[in-house]
Amino acid sequence: MNRRYFLLGSLATLAACSRDPRPRLNVYNWSAYVAPDTISNFEAEFGVNVRYATYESNEEMLAKVVTGNSGWDIVFPTHNRLQPMREYDLVQPLHHEWLPNLQNLDARFGSPVWDKHLEWNVPYMWSGTGIAYNRSLQPAPTRWADLWDSRLKGRLTMCDDPEDMLGACLKKLHLSFSATDHGELLRAEKEALAQKPLVRAYLNAEARDQLVAGDVLAAQMWSTTTQQAIDVTPSLAFAYPEEGFPFYCDCAVILRESERTELAHKFLNYLLRPEVSAAVVEYTKTATANGAAVALLPEATRNSATLYPPPEIFERGEWPRTLPRDAQRLRDRIWTEIKSA
Amino acid sequence: MKLRFWFLLPSRIWMVALFAAPFAIVLAYSFLTRGTYGGVEKPWTIEAYQRLADPLYLTILLRSFLMALAATVLCLVFAFPAALFISRATRHKNLYLQLVMLPFWTSFLVRTYAWLFLLRDTGLINMTLQSLGIIHAPLQLLYNDGAVLLGLVYGYLPFMVLPIYATLERMDPSLIEAAADLGARPIATLFRVIVPLSRPGIVAGSVLVFIPCLGAYLTPDLLGGGRTVLVGNLVQNQFTNARDWPFGSAVSMLLMALVTLLVWGLLRRESEQLG
Repeated sequence: MNRRYFLLGSLATLAACSRDPRPRLNVYNWSAYVAPDTISNFEAEFGVNVRYATYESNEEMLAKVVTGNSGWDIVFPTHNRLQPMREYDLVQPLHHEWLPNLQNLDARFGSPVWDKHLEWNVPYMWSGTGIAYNRSLQPAPTRWADLWDSRLKGRLTMCDDPEDMLGACLKKLHLSFSATDHGELLRAEKEALAQKPLVRAYLNAEARDQLVAGDVLAAQMWSTTTQQAIDVTPSLAFAYPEEGFPFYCDCAVILRESERTELAHKFLNYLLRPEVSAAVVEYTKTATANGAAVALLPEATRNSATLYPPPEIFERGEWPRTLPRDAQRLRDRIWTEIKSA
Repeated sequence: MKLRFWFLLPSRIWMVALFAAPFAIVLAYSFLTRGTYGGVEKPWTIEAYQRLADPLYLTILLRSFLMALAATVLCLVFAFPAALFISRATRHKNLYLQLVMLPFWTSFLVRTYAWLFLLRDTGLINMTLQSLGIIHAPLQLLYNDGAVLLGLVYGYLPFMVLPIYATLERMDPSLIEAAADLGARPIATLFRVIVPLSRPGIVAGSVLVFIPCLGAYLTPDLLGGGRTVLVGNLVQNQFTNARDWPFGSAVSMLLMALVTLLVWGLLRRESEQLG
């Protein structure tokens, strides 16, 4: 194809887009967060056109929507990003009369701490951060403190994320995951520096490959990522640490700038259908907040203690809060200090 | 005059749109206040620059300089013989040049990932050494400064080979013959004739390698496993996790100022020598 044909082709595509008479909805979601036919089924059923794109981090998404004219209608921030988004007046309130399927939500997500009456968000997917390990590691780790054991020297990875990494240190000290106190954070830093000689690397999703390959024996890892690793490597296991651990929930919100409020609600209500939600998580191997959908999953998935921990473990989880600006800056300085030590 | 204006217009637009404008934005950001959620807010302040005086960040800067310097020296050591070989090859010269440039056909990210698979405990290098009985436990090749250095040298080697090759190619072969006729042994010819004459290429190559190495963040992140922070990672982190755009911009400005000074000083010395 030469340049002229490429240009003509692009123009034709543009023209085709503008001629599409169907209403358009713009959805910006995390990558690998819907099944291949989730969007096309919605388009076919409701006679609309969905512009769907994905992002890899909250910051990537927020940098765009913070302008207030990003062109997106629906985005999926993590729960502790909701409060600042509201402070910036970026989200609009939900109309529950248009969301009858909200009743399908798991009771634990019916009035979450970050939005008691679901006025602004629909909880979508959730996960926890814990310890993924190789079963050959005996005795198996059960506490964060076990990740300070010298037998793991060079065979351990921790998250490359200040929130999770410092959180593990804080939890080891039986402090809050969302600590903002200077003294508490400095104690956490000491723990991190003491652990660093054992740590092979600070990795996020790449730790999965290291664990599967057998290069590392234990890794601080998200529960959903670990379940995906366990599915291909049964010799791996996951522990929700005894001292407590964080849960994160990605939530659908409708942006203030959206002029397609009703259609956006239709999309959220569609995602809340048990069969739609179930199809999504069967494909993405993540944990849905939709209780009615969980009931439709294969028994092995439904009973996975990694994806859906039993109530006594769930209770130990903590939903990280939004951090004030000063604490955020202190944490970042500590994090830089740990990494460059 | 008029013709000149129109001919220069595209490059002027290019410079304004893709260099001056982004530069002005970064400069402005560095004097603003951090927004809670990324972004910047008023009032104007020099706080970001005051934070730069923190020894923590200066250490990171120094470490990045040393790393970039080491990568440049290693690139030079490997690139010079390669360039010399290619310039003196009587056959297949174009093939060799193609081979130097071949890695650019794939993305730098993919090639860096490939190193992950070579260097890991269960990777090709460790597996081969173990099956040959040379080692009995895997060497830890990945996630240390050595791996970062390797990645940088690998990634930027062509930028050193090509400028050196260009100067060697233009060199008058009769000078080398003259050196031999006057009794210089090959090693003396190399260091007293060829190297000094290829100086412009060496300087250009060193600048082309040093600057991107100084700002590199992908290689230290992937091959260093986040165990060390170089200035590129520091900047990246300010724009992502830390959501402190003014500070990230201030670090970028400082880095740009240092690099500009360095290159300017170097080029001035070069032109003085030539003049």
